[in-house]
Amino acid sequence: MSLEEPRDQGTDAVATKPTTGDEIADLLGDLVVSREEHVNAPGFVIRPDTVQETLSRLRDEAGFDHLSCVTAEEYEDRYESIYHLTSYDDRTREASVVVPAAKDDPRSQSADAVFRTADWHEREAYDLVGIDYEEHPDLKRILLPDTWQGHPMSLDYDQDRPQVVTLKEWENPLADDHRENEGDTMYLNIGPHHPATHGVLHVKTVLDGEQVADVEPDIGYLHRCEEQMCQTKTYRHQIMPYPDRWDYASSGLLNEWAYARAAEDLNDIEVPEYAQIIRTMGAELCRIASHMLAVGTFALDVYGDFTAIFMYAMRDREIVQNILEDLTGQRMMFNYFRLGGVVWDLPEPRDEFFEKIRDFLDDLPGTLEEYHDLISSNEILQVRTIDTGVLPPEVAKSYGATGPVARASGIDYDLRRDDPYGYYDELDWDVVVEDGCDNYSRLLCRMREVEESAKIIQQCVDLLEDWPEDERTIQSNVPRTLRPEDDTEIYRAVEAAKGELGIYIRADGTDKPGRFKIRSPCFSNLQTLAEMSQGEYIPDMIASLGSLDIVLGEVDR
Amino acid sequence: MTAPLQSDTVLLPERIANLLGLSGVLGDVVGGLLGAFLIANLLLVQTAVAGPWAKRKITAAFTDRIAVNRIGPFGLLIIVADAVRLLSKELVVPEHVDRPAWDLGPIVIPFSALLGFAVIPMGSGIHLADPETGLAFAFAAASIASLGLVMMGYASNNKYSLLGGLRAIAANLAYEIPLIITAASVVIFTGSLQMSEIVAAQTEPLLTVAGVTIPQWFAFVNPFAFVLFVVANLAEVGRNPFDIPEAPTEIVAGYQTEYSSVLFVLIYLGEFIHIFLGGAIAATLFLGGPAGPGPESLGFIWFVAKIWAFYFFTQWMRSAIPRLRVDQFLDVGWKGMLVLSFANLVLTAIIVGVIA
Amino acid sequence: MIGLLKSMATTMKHALDGQTFTVEYPDVAPEVSPRFRGVHKFSQERCIWCRQCENVCPNDTIQIVQDDQRNGEQYNLHIGQCIYCRLCEEVCPVDAILLTQNFEFTADTKDDFVYNKEQLKNVPWYKDIDPLNSREPDRDAWIGEGDGEVDYQ
Repeated sequence: MSLEEPRDQGTDAVATKPTTGDEIADLLGDLVVSREEHVNAPGFVIRPDTVQETLSRLRDEAGFDHLSCVTAEEYEDRYESIYHLTSYDDRTREASVVVPAAKDDPRSQSADAVFRTADWHEREAYDLVGIDYEEHPDLKRILLPDTWQGHPMSLDYDQDRPQVVTLKEWENPLADDHRENEGDTMYLNIGPHHPATHGVLHVKTVLDGEQVADVEPDIGYLHRCEEQMCQTKTYRHQIMPYPDRWDYASSGLLNEWAYARAAEDLNDIEVPEYAQIIRTMGAELCRIASHMLAVGTFALDVYGDFTAIFMYAMRDREIVQNILEDLTGQRMMFNYFRLGGVVWDLPEPRDEFFEKIRDFLDDLPGTLEEYHDLISSNEILQVRTIDTGVLPPEVAKSYGATGPVARASGIDYDLRRDDPYGYYDELDWDVVVEDGCDNYSRLLCRMREVEESAKIIQQCVDLLEDWPEDERTIQSNVPRTLRPEDDTEIYRAVEAAKGELGIYIRADGTDKPGRFKIRSPCFSNLQTLAEMSQGEYIPDMIASLGSLDIVLGEVDR
Repeated sequence: MTAPLQSDTVLLPERIANLLGLSGVLGDVVGGLLGAFLIANLLLVQTAVAGPWAKRKITAAFTDRIAVNRIGPFGLLIIVADAVRLLSKELVVPEHVDRPAWDLGPIVIPFSALLGFAVIPMGSGIHLADPETGLAFAFAAASIASLGLVMMGYASNNKYSLLGGLRAIAANLAYEIPLIITAASVVIFTGSLQMSEIVAAQTEPLLTVAGVTIPQWFAFVNPFAFVLFVVANLAEVGRNPFDIPEAPTEIVAGYQTEYSSVLFVLIYLGEFIHIFLGGAIAATLFLGGPAGPGPESLGFIWFVAKIWAFYFFTQWMRSAIPRLRVDQFLDVGWKGMLVLSFANLVLTAIIVGVIA
Repeated sequence: MIGLLKSMATTMKHALDGQTFTVEYPDVAPEVSPRFRGVHKFSQERCIWCRQCENVCPNDTIQIVQDDQRNGEQYNLHIGQCIYCRLCEEVCPVDAILLTQNFEFTADTKDDFVYNKEQLKNVPWYKDIDPLNSREPDRDAWIGEGDGEVDYQ
């Protein structure tokens, strides 16, 4: 149980707000064409030209202020977009708005006017599936290059068609460079190869002097068809190695949990308590490792040179990785979770393993003290980060920001508490919320979350140590082949290191998912970059980018 | 003024000329050239040690790593290996660069810094020239480097380079003035711009504490000016927290983005010599130049120790202090350093006026 | 100002304490946990050619060729493509394929990374750690058999 008082405004609000499917259907009235039932939420089928009306009514009158994800898919007879709605105040309230579009001319109204986050999500849906979103401000490809022919996730897509575009056919890459010859602004390509883009990210920047007039992140350089790959693998074994590779910056177990949670709920698999504790411990270790990297690289962005704090963070992350290696057998690509539990029990001798974790936890306060000495209490860093990259809570919500980015903007939202899974609700820890909305708050938020994670790990270790030897069940009985019923749909999310990592799965009656959609927290968080950095100096834009803590593997999938 | 350009002290060219038995114009020319050659090589050797080896070792110490240790004792032969590696790399000349400015820029930087060393008394009789305007010459020579930076920034035909070049000018304007004003407060004490005079003025004992004599180094006489000078000097040589013109995470590498191979080496060489020159001026003005315990012939050792201390300090800053944003950097320069340095100058003038 | 001095003091403390956390890699072998999953080792004597490993492999790293009588002829494994998920070891009913703790391998071309059954057999045991037992203490591998040499080139 979290120590936090139950938020009273939440309970009051929920009482008056429609929660059940029928209540929401009453609210929407004629807008609902028919009803569907998803495993996680009631689904409402609406007409494609009433998307904005439906979503704004749900947002304003029913409190569904978080558009978590947009899933698009092509069926034999139609196209379909699903808007997964939930609420920042009460994550357990969910609703799916299903928007079918005609097969021959898939048009659907854009939700961009209601939720800003729909911008990129719909671009992705257009790019991969081919639904045309009307009234979208800038509907163009997002993950694939502009010259790509066809939409890879549509049914008639020809996988073998060569997509080679010669340089001559391609728009002159330098042409953009000379945009606005007459104006006072300068167009600058930051990335895809730039020291501070944390991977292959291309930020199209328009500068006015040293100040940023406009920013447009250009993503997709690391697109590896992760969704499609998962659709060709079996639920039982083959998908699990891949989540490690989405957010590869050592938050593997958190990603695995996202898939495990969705697939377990889809197949009604129970996870033994003992395995849940191991999962919780492993996941929090991953969170520490991930936050260490985030803090280190953020410092690198601000300090600007290969500095001590980055190496210290790497050194401490290394200790976590060693523990994880002892537990899972790999340093980053763990593949440790299995549906229904984990693959191994703790390594023998157990005492030695516990000792190792305890040593790390004992050293952690001193380490963090050192970080505070080096970073957060440093006046120059404060001057650099306080009140820069400001992201007001309303804007953050509209963009679907989650994780430390949202929590540093004062949004009290953490799936571990709000939509409990694993063993979190049995443990004593707090959700870290900072009110500064700036780069400094995001930094502090991560550093404080490390402390909270340490608290969780401490309790898990205590529990595991005293666990009776004959009750150490690490896996429940799971059939060798899983075939969920045809047309079962589920959207489940967990709190990954970067925010809400959601998985949508539609089963098609086989042992492989019919549609596998990844809601990446980095994808939504990165969208806020333009909002944060307009009018700021280049260094602040770089710092804001660093404070978002994106991993391009997860943005591009 | 009819004062002689050279003072009475025996300078390095003269010694070399005497040693070779040459006199007159020929002696001046040969002595001067050989002296300059000697000093330049002394500095290049130090730079070679500083760049590929010491910098790595120092940074590694700060970051708990081991660093170069595979080739030779303490990894020292990495210097040779790196020299071969860097010089054998392909020199990439991007299209549309503005030659010859693009080629000249990297040459200007090390040579301007080396030029500054002409007037620095390095102890043990290593002193190339001692004009009456020595201090002004040193600053003037050091500032030529900015010209090189601007040339490189502008000629590279690259937006990052351009931003770096512009930042370099801004940095120079903002911090050169406080630097020189602070140096002027020393001149008030000495009453001379001549380097040898400045060093000589610092040999007097300041006070004796428990049998230890503290010399009248201006760092002890006026510590405030010393701190100001070191801070302004950091900006002048473009080191953290003022490495705005390079700013690797923001503008890639600033003015040097487009350089590779030999030209890249020249730029790095120039930057290191520049740090050493900054250290040399600071040592001469505030730390008694080559003064130190022991016989006078050890002067050069002390001098080298002092400039290396400054070099070490820049590396320490690099590990510990974040970079300022460009506007904050200029704020600190114009609104902070400039005001403080003028205050220091006026106060020093008043104090010296009252005491004298 | 105090924060700046604190930063400087902290870095200086680290510089002076002389501790390092990096290791001199080829001279000092880095610690590898017993559960670590590295290069595969294969035993033809054990293999029953059930092809489960080939089926479970998520990215077609394992290729098995059989004759008409379903006797095994080839067992090829592309260790350059492998993602070291260890599913092959997990499904193998006879423990014929194992992931040792070896993590070093080199090749001149990508093709050299395709190991046939002989090469797989010759992958040495790493420091006599029983990989299977370290992961699942109730199972033992055939450690000691078929010890080969590593060709690091």
